[in-house]
Amino acid sequence: MENSAEEYRIQSLDMDTQMLLKTALKDPSSVNLEKVSDILVDQSLKDQVFSKEAGRICFTIVQAEANQNNGNVFRRSLLNRLQQEFKSREETRAHSLQEWVCLVTFICNIFDYLKVNNMPMVALVHPVYDCLIRLSQPDALMNEEEVDCLVLQLHRIGEQLEKVNGPRMNELFYLLRDGFLLQEGLTSMARLLLLEILEFRAGGWVLSGTAHKYYYSEIAD
Amino acid sequence: MSNWTRGKRRETRENEHENGSSGPSRWSHCRKRGVDGSLRANREEDAGREKGVHPDSRNASFTTPEGTGPVSRCGRKADWGSQVESDEMKRDVHRDMQRYRRRILGAEVTQRERKISSGSSGSCDSKEGEHIETDEAVLLRRQKQINYGKNTLAYDRYIKEVPKHIRQPGVHPKTPNKFRKYSRRSWDQQIKLWKVKLHAWDPPTEEGQDKVLDDIEELGIDDVMDIELDFPDFQNVPASLPTHSCSLGGEDYYSGTPVKIQKTETTVQPDLALWK
Repeated sequence: MENSAEEYRIQSLDMDTQMLLKTALKDPSSVNLEKVSDILVDQSLKDQVFSKEAGRICFTIVQAEANQNNGNVFRRSLLNRLQQEFKSREETRAHSLQEWVCLVTFICNIFDYLKVNNMPMVALVHPVYDCLIRLSQPDALMNEEEVDCLVLQLHRIGEQLEKVNGPRMNELFYLLRDGFLLQEGLTSMARLLLLEILEFRAGGWVLSGTAHKYYYSEIAD
Repeated sequence: MSNWTRGKRRETRENEHENGSSGPSRWSHCRKRGVDGSLRANREEDAGREKGVHPDSRNASFTTPEGTGPVSRCGRKADWGSQVESDEMKRDVHRDMQRYRRRILGAEVTQRERKISSGSSGSCDSKEGEHIETDEAVLLRRQKQINYGKNTLAYDRYIKEVPKHIRQPGVHPKTPNKFRKYSRRSWDQQIKLWKVKLHAWDPPTEEGQDKVLDDIEELGIDDVMDIELDFPDFQNVPASLPTHSCSLGGEDYYSGTPVKIQKTETTVQPDLALWK
C-alpha cells in the first residue's frame, strides 16, 4: 500500500522521518510508536498546515496497529501526550500564539478523526470545549489568528460537538454573541468571521445560499 | 503453586485491581507485550515470586493472579488514554450484550418449538434470558480477564490453527461466557482453566511443554471436571453432554461431584503434536 507523502501532508518533514511514518503506517509493530506519536505532535505544534490534517495519519496508524496486533500503544501515547500539551496550554499561549493555535487545531482534528466505534471520544469533548471557549474570551477575540482558528474548528466539528454536549455549545455562543456585540477594538475581519459563524450555527450548521454568497462570493470572483 | 500467565499490556495493568503476583513469570515469553507495553522480542525471564495466600486467605491459585496488585484507580483513570480505552470497552460490552440477547431470544423460541413438536420435557428451565449477567462492573471485569487471555501468542496461534467449526467442546478451549450468571469463584476458575488449556498453544521454548503438564499436575486438576463453557448449542440436545444444561441459573460447580471427568494431559498431548 503506497501512501504518498502528499496524502498525509508529511512533505514538510525530513526524509528519515517520512520513512519512519510510512513504515508506521504499513508495519506499526516494527517501529517505536511512542516516538512516532511524539514526532507527530511536535510537528503539529510547529506546522499549521500539518496540524489541520494530522488527524488523518494518526487515525490510519491507530487502525493499522489495531489490525496488526490489536494494540493501542500509539493511540495511548498520542492521547497522553496531547493531554500534557493541553494541560500547559495557557503557558503555550503566552509564549506563542502560533503554537497555541496549532494545538487547538490539532486537538480538534484528532477529535474529528479518531473515533471509537464511530463515536467521538468522550474524553476529548470537554477539553475541546475548553479550548474553544478560551478562544472566545475577550483577549483572544482581539487576535485574528485566534478568531480564525475558532471559526475553522466550529465549521469542522461544531455540529458533532453540539450533539455530544449542547449546553456547552450554548455557553460558547453566548460568549460569541457578547464578543460580536460588545467587544471594542475587534477588527472588521474578526467581526465578519463571528457574524458568519453565528449565522452558520443558527442555520443548523449550514449556511443558506444567500448567506454563502454574501460571505464567500468575493473569493469566487 | 505455579504462576499463571500474568502481566499484560501496561495499559490494562493500570486498571487491574485484583490481587496478583508481580514480576515476570515463566509465561512471559508467551505474552505479546512486555511490561512497558511494547511488543516483545524473545526474552529470557526469571520466574516470578510465588504468592501463596491472598489477604482474604484464598489460595493463590484461586484468582487469576494478574497485574501487579492493588493500584489506585482514581489517578490512573484521569489520563486520556485510559479513559478512551475504558469507554471503548464499555461500548463493546454493551454491544455484545445486545447481540447476546438477540441470540438467546432467537434460540429460546426455537427450542420451545422443538419441545412442543417432540413432546419431550426439557431437563432444565430454558429461560436463560432471565439469567443474563447485566451488572456493568462485573461484565467489564470479566471482559478484562478475557482480554488478558486473548492478548497472548498462544491465543493467536490457537485461533489460527483451529477454526471454530472444527472445535470440539471439552477438547478445545472455549472462552467463558461473560453473560452467564456465575459466582465469582466459578468464573475465576473457568478463566484459569481456559488459560491453562490455551497454554498448549504457547510458542515453543527450550524447556518444552513439560512445564505445562507439571503445572497442571501441581494444581491437582489432572482429573479435572470439564466444564461445558459455551453457550448451549440447542441443536445438540443434552443427551451426550449431561453437564451443561444444568449450568444455567448460576450454580457453583464446586459444590457437587464432578459430572464429567477428563484428563487434561490427554487433551494437551495431541495438541503438542500440532507444533512445528
